[in-house]
Amino acid sequence: MSMEMMLATYEFQQWLYREAKLLDDIDFDGWFSLMHPDIQYIMPVRVNKEGVERPDYAEDMFAFHDDHHLLSLRVERLKTDYAWAEIPPSRTRRSVNNVRVEEYVPNEKAVVKSYLLLYRSRSTDIHHDLVSGERTDEFTYVDGEWKLSKRFFVIDQTTINTRNLAIFV
Amino acid sequence: MGKPEVRLDEMTREEALQYLNETLKPEEGAIPAYILTDPTIYKIEHEKIFMKTWVLLGHVSEIPNKNDYMLRDLAGYSVIVSRGQDGEIRAFYNMCTHRGMKLCRADKGNKANFTCPYHGFNFKNSGELIGVPLQNDIYGGQLDTSKMSLHKVTIGTYRGLIFGTWNDNPQPLDDFLSDFKWYLDIALGRTEMEVVGPPQKFIVHSNWKIGSDNFVSDSYHTMVTHGSIAQLGMVPSATYSKKGYQVHTDNGHGCLIGMPNPDFAFPEELKDEYKANLTPEQFELLSNLKNLIGTLFPNLSILVSHTKVKGQLISNTTMRLWKPVGPDKMEVMTWFMVEKNASEDWKKRSRESYILTFSPSGIFEQDDTEVFTDITAAASGTMPFAKQLTYNYTMGMHREPVKDFPGPGVAYGDKFSEANSRNYYRYWLDLMNS
Repeated sequence: MSMEMMLATYEFQQWLYREAKLLDDIDFDGWFSLMHPDIQYIMPVRVNKEGVERPDYAEDMFAFHDDHHLLSLRVERLKTDYAWAEIPPSRTRRSVNNVRVEEYVPNEKAVVKSYLLLYRSRSTDIHHDLVSGERTDEFTYVDGEWKLSKRFFVIDQTTINTRNLAIFV
Repeated sequence: MGKPEVRLDEMTREEALQYLNETLKPEEGAIPAYILTDPTIYKIEHEKIFMKTWVLLGHVSEIPNKNDYMLRDLAGYSVIVSRGQDGEIRAFYNMCTHRGMKLCRADKGNKANFTCPYHGFNFKNSGELIGVPLQNDIYGGQLDTSKMSLHKVTIGTYRGLIFGTWNDNPQPLDDFLSDFKWYLDIALGRTEMEVVGPPQKFIVHSNWKIGSDNFVSDSYHTMVTHGSIAQLGMVPSATYSKKGYQVHTDNGHGCLIGMPNPDFAFPEELKDEYKANLTPEQFELLSNLKNLIGTLFPNLSILVSHTKVKGQLISNTTMRLWKPVGPDKMEVMTWFMVEKNASEDWKKRSRESYILTFSPSGIFEQDDTEVFTDITAAASGTMPFAKQLTYNYTMGMHREPVKDFPGPGVAYGDKFSEANSRNYYRYWLDLMNS
């Protein structure tokens, strides 16, 4: 791997770790400020297919399919007095790993893949939920910062084992 | 905590039912908490309700082509719903008749035959066993394959909905749906509707009846549980959900009809289609409809929602199954449906509003499951027996049904009532005693 790609990999690892920390710390405004105005935040429905036919996710149905406005609505809603799904907020712990920079144009754009393992604990419930999957993230460089312009999250379960997706993936 | 005096699991079936009849009084609005979580009740429910009534399997638009199939679940058993080479839809128990292995394990596909992964027995998608490896040699030509067809599931369809039952002598589907068809027509039969994408599935640690109950009669919760939506300006006010009608029919079915609506909630260009598919009374109602929320007994809920997204009003139509997985656990399955002949823009915006509001990430849906989970936890174990915890379902008992409502069934001129739940639990109790 070239020195440039090593540095880029490190840079995006740190970006993703910081993002995970903001979400786990319930700093939704801080998290949302990382989004590019053209953000596409997409999570397709995973399906069981015959054999190794791919892709094994739906191309016409999604658990999330948000642009900047819809994503901001979710963030705003979580700040109202009635966002019961997150009162008290879930304790989440996002482990981000296997970060691979697939495309990289310095100071312009990048495509980065990573694995996400998300632990979720609600209230006094001893039961916990795990959400795992792969992200394909596209970044755009704006005013000296990398902003997330597309996230495509493929979850590993066809039946999601959490009561709702009031959390971000 | 006192020693529990009642242990349904130590009673005979008759004693348990007697206790149920003494404690569940639908007409008085008294619903005991233990019916949500007790394992004996859950077991009787499975036998008397889910093995006997009609339960939704899916929609015809999910398997539009010859040899299309999809895997579904009927009372906890895997079922192949298949469209044969003759175009006919059939359903079979997903079990090889030789040794019981599942024949299909993909969610859906296109296959004329199903081959068992265990010994290679091969079945036509009309159910006949047509291939047994080495048949003549190992069975000496004696195997009667005609007696080894797949176990057929009795199915029925209405307005594209495919229902199945394990009951060999079920009440005819038409009779079971009864007067509720009038409302199903508006929700899902106003024009040709199609399912978009696979259904979404997620697990909630909740008893399944709480979902059915919520959709059959509970508009009251929307003020508080969904208060965030009013704060966001997606609906006019917190009390918007009070106006309209609450209607129930025979067999436990019921719905909530939000109206009036100054805006037409559906694609304008399809008005002629709606008129062709509906009676003038139904079309008049559709024209003024804000939303329609209902439950078809036991666990199919339907929803036509109308909200403001990106400054524009848009409706979305969905159905959902509250599938029991255990006394305190269910799998929720949600289907997004749309007018097949609507514009691509309408379909796209309608799907967008579904995902935002009533999908697993939906900002309405997610707060409901929070409530469902906590109610279930509170109703668990022996305490509900020891303290005789009983829910109050008396809301609206002072009201008289309205006379001038155009649809069939018993209609009340206010959505805030528990009349539909009382009707739902009455039918539930009748079936438990059947």
